[in-house]
Amino acid sequence: MAGKSVSFVEGKSPKADFKTLPKIRTMSQIETLGILEEIQALVSDKLQVVSYKWLSRNFLVSSNVAKRLLAEFVEKHGSGLEVVYSLSGWLKNTPSNYHIQLVSGPKLAEAKQEYDGNCRVHVYSVQACIPKDPAALWNTEFIQAEELFKQPTTADNCLRDNRFCGILTSFVKRNVNGTSVRVAAVQPKSVGISGPPKHNSAQNNAALPSQQNKVQQSSLKVAQQPPSVVKDVKSNSTDIGVHDPASKPSADKEQISSLSSNKKKDQNDKSSTASGGSLANLWGRASTKPKPSCVPADDSDSIQNRNVSADAQICAREAVEDENSDDGAQDVNFRRASNGEGNRKRRVVFDFSDEDEYEDAVNLASPDPPKGKSSFDSEQNSKTLVPKIPNLIVDEPKKDEIKVKEEKTTNREPKSSSKSTIGGHSSLVKVENQLPETDAKDKVIDAAPNSPKRRKVMKTRIDDRGREVTEVVWEGEETEVKVESDMPRKVGSGTPNADNNTVTNTNNRPPAAKKSPALGNTAPSNPGGKAGNKKAGNAKDPKQGNILSFFKRV
Amino acid sequence: MLELRLVQGSLLKKVLEAIKDLVTDANFDCSATGFSLQAMDSSHVALVALLLRSEGFEHYRCDRNISMGMNLNNMSKMLKCAGNDDIITIKADDGSDTVTFMFESPTQDKISDFEMKLMDIDSEHLGIPEAEYHAIVRMPSAEFARICKDLASIGDTVVISVTKEGVKFSTRGDIGTANIVLRQNTTVDKPEEATIIEMNEPVSLTFALRYMNSFTKATPLSNTVTISLSSELPVVVEYKIAEMGYIRFYLAPKIEEDEDETKPQV
Repeated sequence: MAGKSVSFVEGKSPKADFKTLPKIRTMSQIETLGILEEIQALVSDKLQVVSYKWLSRNFLVSSNVAKRLLAEFVEKHGSGLEVVYSLSGWLKNTPSNYHIQLVSGPKLAEAKQEYDGNCRVHVYSVQACIPKDPAALWNTEFIQAEELFKQPTTADNCLRDNRFCGILTSFVKRNVNGTSVRVAAVQPKSVGISGPPKHNSAQNNAALPSQQNKVQQSSLKVAQQPPSVVKDVKSNSTDIGVHDPASKPSADKEQISSLSSNKKKDQNDKSSTASGGSLANLWGRASTKPKPSCVPADDSDSIQNRNVSADAQICAREAVEDENSDDGAQDVNFRRASNGEGNRKRRVVFDFSDEDEYEDAVNLASPDPPKGKSSFDSEQNSKTLVPKIPNLIVDEPKKDEIKVKEEKTTNREPKSSSKSTIGGHSSLVKVENQLPETDAKDKVIDAAPNSPKRRKVMKTRIDDRGREVTEVVWEGEETEVKVESDMPRKVGSGTPNADNNTVTNTNNRPPAAKKSPALGNTAPSNPGGKAGNKKAGNAKDPKQGNILSFFKRV
Repeated sequence: MLELRLVQGSLLKKVLEAIKDLVTDANFDCSATGFSLQAMDSSHVALVALLLRSEGFEHYRCDRNISMGMNLNNMSKMLKCAGNDDIITIKADDGSDTVTFMFESPTQDKISDFEMKLMDIDSEHLGIPEAEYHAIVRMPSAEFARICKDLASIGDTVVISVTKEGVKFSTRGDIGTANIVLRQNTTVDKPEEATIIEMNEPVSLTFALRYMNSFTKATPLSNTVTISLSSELPVVVEYKIAEMGYIRFYLAPKIEEDEDETKPQV
C-alpha cells in the first residue's frame, strides 16, 4: 500500500520530491538520517515547529514512524531545542479519566506523575522554543493540510486517502482511477440501510471505515467526472422514488447523514482520524480510546472529529480559555454520549452529531433539540420527522441570506439543469407527500455539503474600544465553496441528497437558501459573539486609567 | 542587621493575604520609621501602599535602610505556617540574600524558623502626593466588601457617586443594573459601624470591580474602611492596621467618554 501511495503522489505532490522513493519505502536507519538532518535545519534555521504530523505528511512516512523519527532526533540533537511531548494514559484520580496532554520537556516528569501506572509518551513536536501561543504548535501542519486539500481533487495525497493513519483496514481499497465510483458509493449505503447498523458486530465495524473511504474516493472521482454526476442523480432519483413513498425516512437519513458526515470528515481532514489531526483530535480521542475495539474507535473519532475537527484549531484554545461556547459544550455532550452508548450506537451518534452541528449552527440557543435528536436517531427511530420539524421552523426566518445559495445555484447551473428535471419530479412528490421530511433532508444535505467548505478560524481584532477580541469565525472561500459544495452533492447523489438539492434549486429554492445561510452566517456570528464576550472580560480596557498617570516615579 | 518582632503575628499574615493577589513580587522597605511596601499590580492600574510603623513592633531594629525583594506568594506560604497567636520576628542580615521568619508560640514552647530567599526586584517607587479629596466615606469594611462582591456578580465596573444624599454604588451588566445607596449613619452603638460621609464636592467615578474586590481582601485587618474620592485622582481605599499603620490601595478610575458610565463591557 505504501508503495502504491507513494508512487501515486510522486508526480503531484511537490513535497514528495524531498525524499526519493526508496528512502521512504525502506526507512532504514541510514536513510532516516537525511530526514533527521532536515529536521535539524527546519527547527534551528527556519525556526519551524516540526510536529510528527507535519513530518509524516511531508516526508510521507507513517505517523508512527514520524514519532519515532522525532524521538530519535530528540535523542541526538535534542539539546538546545524545546520538545513537546504528548502524554496519554489514565489519570490517577477517581473515577480515572483517560487523559491526553501535551507537555513541554521540562515538565514531562512532573506530568507523568499524574498518570496512573504507565502512560504513553511520544514526541509531539520539536521546536526552537515553546511558542507563546499554543496555536503556533499546529500552525505549520495546518497550513500543510490546507495545501494538501487545495490540490486538485484528482491529486491523491496523503490526507485524502488517510494512508498514514495508524489504523488501516484491509477492506478498503483505494480506487485511484475512479471507474467504479458509484458502485463503491452505493455499497456502503446498502450496508447502512439494510444491515442492523447499530450492532457491534465486527463486520459492521469493518464496513464502516471502508464505507468512509469509499465515499471519500467516490467524491473525488465524481468531482472529476461530471458525466457521472448525471448518472448519479438518476440513480438517486430512482432511489428516492423508492424510498420516499415507502416512507423509510430513517434509513434514508441515515445514509445521508452518514455519508455527509463521512464526507465532512474526509474533507475537513485535518482531522483525519489517526494520521492527520490537531490537538483537538488528540483530546477528542480521549473519550473513545478506552474502548476496546479500535475500528469503532476510529469511527467514533470521526464523530468527534466532525465536531471537533470543525473546531479543531480553536477547540484547544477554547478549552484553554475555559470558555464553554456552545460548540464546546456540544462537543462535550457528544463525547459523553458516545461513551455512554457504547460502540453499538456510535455510528448513529455520528450521524446525528452531524445534524447537530448543522442545527447547532442554526439554533445555538437551544442546545437541547440536538440531543433529543441524537437519541432519537440513535434509537434509529423512524420518527425522525418529529425532531426535524422544529428545524424547519428555525430555518424559515433566515431567508434574508438567500444570496449565498443563489450563488451556488448559478454556479451549478449546467449540472442542475439536467438534475433539475430528474430531481424535480421526485422532489415534487416528496414535497407534497412529506413536507417535513424533505425539508429535514434538505437540511441534512445542506449541512453536509456546506460544512466541509467552512472552517472555523480564530480572528483576533481590536474592537472599537480598543479591547482585544478574539472571535471564532466560520470562514469559507468562495471558490472552494463552489467546488466542494458540488462535490459532496454529486457524491451524495447516490442517496436522496443530491435530489433534494436539485429539488431545492429548481422547485424549492427558498428552503435551501435558508439553510445554507443559516449555516454559513448565523452560526459564525453566535460563537464569535460569545468568544468575544468572554474574552473581553480579561482583555485590557483602554478606558482603564493608569496609576502612573497620577503618580510620578521617584 | 534587621530584627522586627511583631507580637500580633496574625496582622502580618492578614497583610499578606490582602496584597498577594494584587501583587506577586514586591520590595519591603525597612527604615527607622517602619516597615513599608509599595507596589503596583502588573497592569499598573492599582497600587498598594503598606506601612507598619516601628512603634507598632515590640522590638524594632533596623541598622540601615534595607529593601528586601520577596515573592509574596512564597512569603504567604511561610507565614501560613505561623499560628494566629504566634509572635513573628523578621530577621535579615545586611547583604544577605535571605530573610528569616521566626514564629514563637505564645507559650514559648514552639519556635519555628523559616528562611526565605530574597529576590532582586526592580522597584518603581511612586511619589504619592498629599491631596485634598472631594469626598471621604468611612464605612464598615464588611459592608464595603459585601457591596463589591454583590455588584461584581452583576457588572464589571462600579460607579461610586457621592452626593449630599449619600454614597451610591451602581453597576450595570448583561442581566440588569444595581444601585446601592448608603446614607450617613452615625447613630450606631459601635463607632465602627458608622457610615460617615464627608463631602466637599459631589464626585462620581467609575472603577473596575475586579480591583475593588481584591482590595476587600484586606477586610480582616480592620473593621472600617475609608474611601477617598477626587475626580482627578485615583480612589484611595484605606484599611487601618491596629494602631500601627495602614494599608492603602490606590485605583485609577476608568475614563468615561460617554454618559453611560456603567456601561457593561460588551
